Amino acid sequence: MTFRLPWARLPRLATWAVLTAIVLGPLYWITISAFKDREEILRTTPTLVPTHPTLENFRQLFTATDYPSYLANSFVVALCTAFFTVLVSFAAAYGLYRLRVPGGDKLAGVILVAYMIPGTLLLVPLYQAFAAVELIDTRNALVIVNVAFTAPFCTWLLRGFFLAIPRDIDEAAAVDGAGPIRMMLRIVLPLLAPGISTVAVYAFVFSWTEFVFASQLVVSDQLKTLPIGLSAIMGQYTVNWGLLMAGTVCTVIPAIVPFLFAGRYFVGGLTAGAVK
Amino acid sequence: MTSRSAAAPGTGEVVPGTRPTGRPATASGRRRPWRTHLLGYGLVAPLVLVMLGVIGYPLLNTVLLSLQNQGVVGSASTFVGLDNYTRAFGDGAFWASIGRSAIWLLGNLVVQTIIAFGTALLIGRNGRWARASRTWVLIPWVIPTVAVAVIWQWLSNSNYGIVPKLGAAVGVDGLGSPFGDSALAMPALILMNSWHWFPLGAVVIFGALRTIPGEIYEAARVDGADSWRIFWRITFPLLQPVLFALGLVGSLWSFNIVDSIYLVTKGGPADATTTAPVFIYGKAFNQFQASDAATVSVITIILLAAVAFFYIRVAKPKEDA
Repeated sequence: MTFRLPWARLPRLATWAVLTAIVLGPLYWITISAFKDREEILRTTPTLVPTHPTLENFRQLFTATDYPSYLANSFVVALCTAFFTVLVSFAAAYGLYRLRVPGGDKLAGVILVAYMIPGTLLLVPLYQAFAAVELIDTRNALVIVNVAFTAPFCTWLLRGFFLAIPRDIDEAAAVDGAGPIRMMLRIVLPLLAPGISTVAVYAFVFSWTEFVFASQLVVSDQLKTLPIGLSAIMGQYTVNWGLLMAGTVCTVIPAIVPFLFAGRYFVGGLTAGAVK
Repeated sequence: MTSRSAAAPGTGEVVPGTRPTGRPATASGRRRPWRTHLLGYGLVAPLVLVMLGVIGYPLLNTVLLSLQNQGVVGSASTFVGLDNYTRAFGDGAFWASIGRSAIWLLGNLVVQTIIAFGTALLIGRNGRWARASRTWVLIPWVIPTVAVAVIWQWLSNSNYGIVPKLGAAVGVDGLGSPFGDSALAMPALILMNSWHWFPLGAVVIFGALRTIPGEIYEAARVDGADSWRIFWRITFPLLQPVLFALGLVGSLWSFNIVDSIYLVTKGGPADATTTAPVFIYGKAFNQFQASDAATVSVITIILLAAVAFFYIRVAKPKEDA
């Protein structure tokens, strides 16, 4: 260990302080705001810690608004999206990058290019198509759209994970008499667990935050997801910031929790996909 | 196990004679039975089908719709040829929204690249806080856009927000909410959106930095290069492929954004934040002009493809460099 003067570390500490404040500061501020009562949250000199912490905002959120139903819808849609995205993208990645079907590289390229087409610009005909098959105002419509927009990216994300699994394993398994499907499910799938969790978290988070399609493809109030519901609450209760903060905290937590569990793999997965 | 292990890999189940004639059995010297190919295509099929249904078919329909005169989305319509295009090309509001999209795209690109690069260099250091930061720094990206919108409206609220109060504390009085000011709304939204998206770029750049072997830096340092030269001569060129991909994908993603803008300003005040996707969204679902929306969608996709093509031609790193 070399001796360092304390002030020599000051610039670095200051940079860290700035980054931490920018990233975590706003989250800290909304969290404590959610626990403040109506008087304290509007005080001229804001308090850094609630002087009289209260759960009143949360009680009102879950009893006086439709928030619980928005929350439940978001969970249903996000979990289904994550499940089907994993299914579709794992299968496609296995075919493209492991079985290496003829023309697979071209197909993978076409899939990525098609995925680059901005989804918002397709909203109008998509609405018509869903209306034709009577999927408007169903949660199924949201799951289908979400899967279509997450699976291509996730397939590409899985590429790095597939490339990391040595191909010798296949041959060893084939020698042992395992068919291609058994090989996929028994040997490759378990090795791909980090990749699968990355994809699941990405799809869950994408669905949890998706606003544009959810705002048009679902009409009834009891089927709306959180992004639509919370913005409706924002419009209705403009002056009740405590209630809004409680709603925001409850919207943020389900997105952060799965991420904290799979975050390590997630960062690895994103960087592996980007670099290879 | 031992009885079947004598069979050649993968060929055990193939019945002789069922292999289609005319197709070479081997592509790369490795045995690829047609059943494996069939399985492979079968596995890719769900992805292709869902993309055809949700992206391919609507794309085709956008073009068809742009040649008709549909009002409310899904209502009856007749064929009108290129009338919509003539109208769209003469529509000043549309071109203004394209211009705002360009500002939005460039603003987000510049702000996010700078912050992401700085953050990547910071979280790549050693130490417990740096290691932990690789996870928590992604939180702004993970949280829903609607939460981002509420958070920043609360922080910048002119009466009760913490940002105007901190401003007043250091002597900057009268900071109002920037989202209500037609001159400040766009820069404010770009900053808010950059807060939401920069972590993704930071983590990708961080991952790319890790792939640069430390010996290169040490060799450069032994040769007497300073940090500035090392960055521009070694780090930056080696990162170019990743920065190129990130610039392309990130720009397309940020161009596409409606939610960040719509949730805060709905395109206002006085259209100051109406980018092309917001313009299209409003035309289709607030003004009920489905065909006009489809027409400007087609023009926008073509413009976007042209810009992407130009970007790839100009910025793609040379393989042999």
